[in-house]
Amino acid sequence: MSRPTQKKYCFLLICLVHFFGTSQQNKLDSLKNELQTHTLKDTIRAGLLIELASELTYSEPNKGFSLIEEALAISKKNIWIKGEALAQRQKGNLHYVLADNLNAMDAYQKALVLSRKIPDKQLEASVLSNLGNIHADLKEYDRALENYRAYLETSQAMGNRAEEIKALSNIAIIYNDTENFEEGVSYLNKALTLAKEEGNDLFIAAITNNLALAYKNLGEHQKALFHYQEAMAMAQKIGNKYIEASALNSIGKINVLLNNYAVAETYASNALSLSKEIGAVEWEADSWEVLSKVYEQNGKMPEALNAYKKHIQLRDSVLNEEKKSELTRKEMQFQMERQQAVANEEIKRQQLVKNIYLIGAIFFVLMAMFGYYIYKRRRDELEKKKTAEFNAKVSETELKALRSQMNPHFIFNSLNSISDFISKNDILQADDYLVKFSKLTRAILENSEKKSITLSEDLELMELYMQIETIRLQNKLHHQITIDQDIEPNNTLVPPLILQPFIENSIWHGIAPKNGDGHIDIKIEKEGDMLKYVVDDNGVGQSKKNVRGKKSNGSFGIKITKSRIDILSHIKNKKGSVNLMDKPEGVRVEITLPLELQF
Amino acid sequence: MLKALIVDDEQHCIDRLETLLRSSTYNIKIIAYCKTIDEAIKEIASSTPDILFLDVQLGNGTGFDLLSQLDHIDFEVIFTTSYDKYALKAFKFSALDYLLKPIDNTDLDNALQKLRQQKSLKETSQKIDILFHNFKESNPSSKRIAIPTVAGFTMLDTKQIIRFQSDANYTHIHTLSNKKITASKTIKYFEDILDDNTFFRVHKSHLVNLDYIEAYTKGKGGHITLSDKTRIEVAVRRKDELIQKLRA
Repeated sequence: MSRPTQKKYCFLLICLVHFFGTSQQNKLDSLKNELQTHTLKDTIRAGLLIELASELTYSEPNKGFSLIEEALAISKKNIWIKGEALAQRQKGNLHYVLADNLNAMDAYQKALVLSRKIPDKQLEASVLSNLGNIHADLKEYDRALENYRAYLETSQAMGNRAEEIKALSNIAIIYNDTENFEEGVSYLNKALTLAKEEGNDLFIAAITNNLALAYKNLGEHQKALFHYQEAMAMAQKIGNKYIEASALNSIGKINVLLNNYAVAETYASNALSLSKEIGAVEWEADSWEVLSKVYEQNGKMPEALNAYKKHIQLRDSVLNEEKKSELTRKEMQFQMERQQAVANEEIKRQQLVKNIYLIGAIFFVLMAMFGYYIYKRRRDELEKKKTAEFNAKVSETELKALRSQMNPHFIFNSLNSISDFISKNDILQADDYLVKFSKLTRAILENSEKKSITLSEDLELMELYMQIETIRLQNKLHHQITIDQDIEPNNTLVPPLILQPFIENSIWHGIAPKNGDGHIDIKIEKEGDMLKYVVDDNGVGQSKKNVRGKKSNGSFGIKITKSRIDILSHIKNKKGSVNLMDKPEGVRVEITLPLELQF
Repeated sequence: MLKALIVDDEQHCIDRLETLLRSSTYNIKIIAYCKTIDEAIKEIASSTPDILFLDVQLGNGTGFDLLSQLDHIDFEVIFTTSYDKYALKAFKFSALDYLLKPIDNTDLDNALQKLRQQKSLKETSQKIDILFHNFKESNPSSKRIAIPTVAGFTMLDTKQIIRFQSDANYTHIHTLSNKKITASKTIKYFEDILDDNTFFRVHKSHLVNLDYIEAYTKGKGGHITLSDKTRIEVAVRRKDELIQKLRA
């Protein structure tokens, strides 16, 4: 795992650590052999696959993926979580090497979760460290620090000093990168103390070198020089030419700043030769820069120019390299952001679509319910109306039947009446009576066909009827009709001839048998929304009629009329009634009907 | 003295009318009586009567058949009938006089008095024209009607009438040609005659021609707008039936 952008300033311990695991060809071959023989899909094969992928990381990373996928599948099948975690970490490594930060992070996150599930602190620490590295690469310093801190905690928790030192160093590097040098120095000192305790010379050399850089950045040149010298000495001791070359260059640079050009030239020359030996172009460029400055001060202009040219040349090649990786990184970031944005957009869009569907569905359901409600209400109304119309029709038919029964009843009563008259009077009078009676009969026939007529028309008929009866009874009959002031006879509708049977009853059975004059008094009143007829006679009364047991026709007409009133009450949904009652002298009939107006 | 001819196929009816006319105070001379249409046509041609008492139902036809066979009518006609709803309605439309059998003395006197007041024979001829027009016309909305006025009669096509408006015992009739005729009859008289589906009593004071209703505006009873732009109130109790009629 290389971090080229930071190499300029500091040595990443992580890189150095990796150098220990540099692959060896024979190890690769032996692993391949083992895999070929061990075909059983078990945890051993998974382990071998991961190991082989790891060996291929720097040489042929692309070949590693298929191995990892197989390892993942086997681990999942065998529920070997550690294997799964290791495979995910290795997958992350492969992506990282191929500069695919996004997928690398994804794999590391999975590895992190799995490692915490096991739990395996060692694994967790390494994954956290790698995540920190990626964030540092992407210059996401906050998140890098976050991961490194977790890395530190995990390392401390499991008591792994080497990991702890690496964590502290990496945190320091982040602080230095963000120019928080005091914090950087503090962390480096912590790391250095631990490294010394451990006696890890490589760590001591690298950390001391970084510490010197931090002091240089803080402007404390003497302290910087001191630490660079120490780092150089330690590097020489362990034979690490990278650190040595870096330290030599740095010493040269500081001496230029301190105007010790001769010293600077010596260090720079040493650094240059060492850099060339190990092929570190970056530091070679640095060395040439120092030398160019020294030559310039010494007045050796052509040399200075030459040195400067070489510096620029080498620097450019390094910068190009850096630019390229920077570009890749930027592109990665852009891709990542774009993917994120697209994903967010997609999520939003789906949410919107979902909401629209939901709202649509709710709306549809509401509409359907509303529609059904309207439909049902309408249907019920129609049903009700139909039933009512049907009932009305039935009642109407019944009424018609009853009215038509009234006609023959009336005609035969009339004939009786005429015969009674003729037997008692002369021909001329009889003729006159007959003509009048024919008029009444015509009027009754016409009106009895109608459902209703106005009260004034009905009373005219009654008047005519009583006049004729008066002639027959030779002025023995007197009558009076009184209409309440509240009633408009022209605008009040009544069923035709409701009163006739009762009046007839009073005349034939009440007044005719009576000795002396008879009186019929008709009153019409309004009682709320009811019309009330009261017929009073001063005839012989009901009980006597019944004793005599004559003429049941009257009661037949009354029976029909009662039925008519019942049906009318039913149609109008109001309670009509007929009451016959005896008085000391005569009978009173009370009829109530629903009051109906024409307009 | 007026010459009267009685046309009736039943002897007892002729006898009765003869008896009544003889005892009447009006000076009427019965010149003849006929029992058939043919007899009557001959008799009319030869004796030129002033009054014809004409039974509606004759053995071999109707009184209308008799009239239709005459070239011109230069006498008064009084129809006699016992019970014929159809004929009665036709008489009312044309305002022709009629007597119901058995004939009442008072009714006869009234008819004769009216006859004496009548100004010309032309009116009778017009009324009979209306009668025949209405018989021929099968469309009930284009019947003709003789409207009794204070001055006499006005003949109108029912199609011409937009509405009737009651004014106590008189009725104002508004026509398509924007004329206003005042009839000496109540609105109920017209409502009874025009009891088909063309005219409807929307209000105590209004009888309207349904064909000329342009709009109905909702309300308690609501109101209607007629083609002459008059707005007429609809009685609450007439609303439902009116809407039903308008829908039909």
